[in-house]
Amino acid sequence: MPDGERANGSWSRASLMSLFDRERGVLDRRVLSDESLYRLELERIFARGWNFMCHESQLPNTGDYLVNYIGEDQVIVVRDESGRINVLLNTCRHRGNALCRAEQGRAKSFVCTYHGWNYGLDGRLIGVPGLKTYYRDDLDLERHGLVKAAQVDSHLGFVFATMAADAPPLSDYLGDVGLAGLGMVGAFGEVEVIDGIQKNVIDCNWKIAVDNLFDWYHVTYSHASANSSGFTEIARFLQPNQQMVMLGEYGHAISGPAMPKARQDQIDGLSDEQRVEMAKTLPGNIVRIRPKAAAGLMGAEGVRSLGHPNIFPNLWITLGGLQMCLRLPRGPSSTELWWYTVVPKNASPEFRRQAIRFCNHAFGPAGLFEQDDGENWSQSTRAARGVSSGAIGHHLGMGVGRDRVTVSATGERFIETCINEHAQRWLYRSWTEWMAARDWAELRANHSPAPTAAV
Amino acid sequence: MQLAERVLLQHEVEQFLYAEAALLDARRYRDWLGLLADDIHYWMPIRRTVTVGDLDMEFTKPGAMAYFDDDRQLLEMRVKKLEASTAWSENPPSRSRHLVTNVRIAGVEGDEVTVEACFHLYRTRLNSEVDGWVGRRIDVLRRAGDSFRLARRHIFLDQTVILATNMSTLF
Repeated sequence: MPDGERANGSWSRASLMSLFDRERGVLDRRVLSDESLYRLELERIFARGWNFMCHESQLPNTGDYLVNYIGEDQVIVVRDESGRINVLLNTCRHRGNALCRAEQGRAKSFVCTYHGWNYGLDGRLIGVPGLKTYYRDDLDLERHGLVKAAQVDSHLGFVFATMAADAPPLSDYLGDVGLAGLGMVGAFGEVEVIDGIQKNVIDCNWKIAVDNLFDWYHVTYSHASANSSGFTEIARFLQPNQQMVMLGEYGHAISGPAMPKARQDQIDGLSDEQRVEMAKTLPGNIVRIRPKAAAGLMGAEGVRSLGHPNIFPNLWITLGGLQMCLRLPRGPSSTELWWYTVVPKNASPEFRRQAIRFCNHAFGPAGLFEQDDGENWSQSTRAARGVSSGAIGHHLGMGVGRDRVTVSATGERFIETCINEHAQRWLYRSWTEWMAARDWAELRANHSPAPTAAV
Repeated sequence: MQLAERVLLQHEVEQFLYAEAALLDARRYRDWLGLLADDIHYWMPIRRTVTVGDLDMEFTKPGAMAYFDDDRQLLEMRVKKLEASTAWSENPPSRSRHLVTNVRIAGVEGDEVTVEACFHLYRTRLNSEVDGWVGRRIDVLRRAGDSFRLARRHIFLDQTVILATNMSTLF
């Protein structure tokens, strides 16, 4: 089939690449509302990329399972008898019925409620009612197991899966920036997810939620009432002129405030015990200073980041690694948000209590920050999809061409500047490359390497 | 307790809950704060779709993640936020109606009355957004002069995934 003649749209490579003007930072607003582009995203981004499934601590025992998504495909994420975590499409091989209709639970096997086909925790078909009598033994059970994700792998206990057999291994996919992002969560030692994922649906395009996580420009204005209500003091963490951006292959990025180099040098000279003592003198009860080992996980420069990583496409890490948010696409104008709170297993009961208290009140649908995000994102989707409003270019031009990437002696690439939109541009630029590539071979060959010069 | 006492208590409790709901619906949040005990615990755990065999994990437990897990200080912050003209999720403000029903007195201990009730919180905002939250509340009302103070409100929603852009209203 010639490029651009796919059944789900008539988008040629050139037309897809033209949807974001990387030189000027202007996005075609159809990217945020067009149904055919959305269908293509499910295929070329979600079914192709590595998707976050869970943290291992969420499935401690054999048979523990939860349901997650790869795009709009439901998957069962389950720990089997051998201790392995499997990712299985939640659709019976017989007539497509969902095996799991619960969000999470404990199972010995998965029995389809339609005709009773029974699958093991590893997805093998182990029982079919009437196999001898009705099927006359003419059904190959081996060939009718649940469809498995092509690859499942984990980093620091965070489990990811892809439906693409030809996707690069997880560590290559994450690259230095993705690894640094997850390192932000793992920096304080082995972690566990606190029970309870906050979930809600926002009427916005999923990418509006994603580009917002890099956006430190909106914080003062969007979240003015989180500040004036006394919940937080934005000026204490924003550091508008001390921002650091890291751009990684395949669309990963980290953006936000950073520790000045000179201050990090001082911290590097402290023992872990001294760092714990120092953190106690800082404002806020959940501020942490990363231990020595963190530089190994995040890089000597990356460890300075106090900003927001996104693991492309849709996993946000925030609050210095205490929370993660998955943005699940539910149509061009609808996104489901899942909030995970993650604390080190060895955290003191007091830290744990303070962390949960802050996390419960910052984000999620009732969060003092996120209430207002939902309003802005849904209206940014709605008010930008009309005939005339949709024809206006989406402006992502802040600081375009004004900054340079520094490459450290160890090869880390970072931009130090004021508040900016570099990571948002990187997101949409990478998005065009993912969308224009017909397969992983094309994406591998044609994606942009992480910038090393002017941006 | 004699029937006459029970009827009187039922009447007092219902009138308190209706008056409280009316304050929220009238956006008189500061007056609403006046009905709360200083040690109030206002909590809405996360509910999940689970199978019959896993019903023990239907709700998150106290101390874990929740949609609301507020003390008085946090509720005061929420009210300050509702009063601020920069709380974009409430400016223009939502229109809400708290329907409180099936009010049952579950226990009386000293000066505290435990009350179970069902509610339907209808919230509409802008011109096309409609949210409806139905659920059960377990309240503890503490005697204060000839009225009560709300000392505990535990809210058990019937939705699992919250089908709304936000929950910027009070339950």
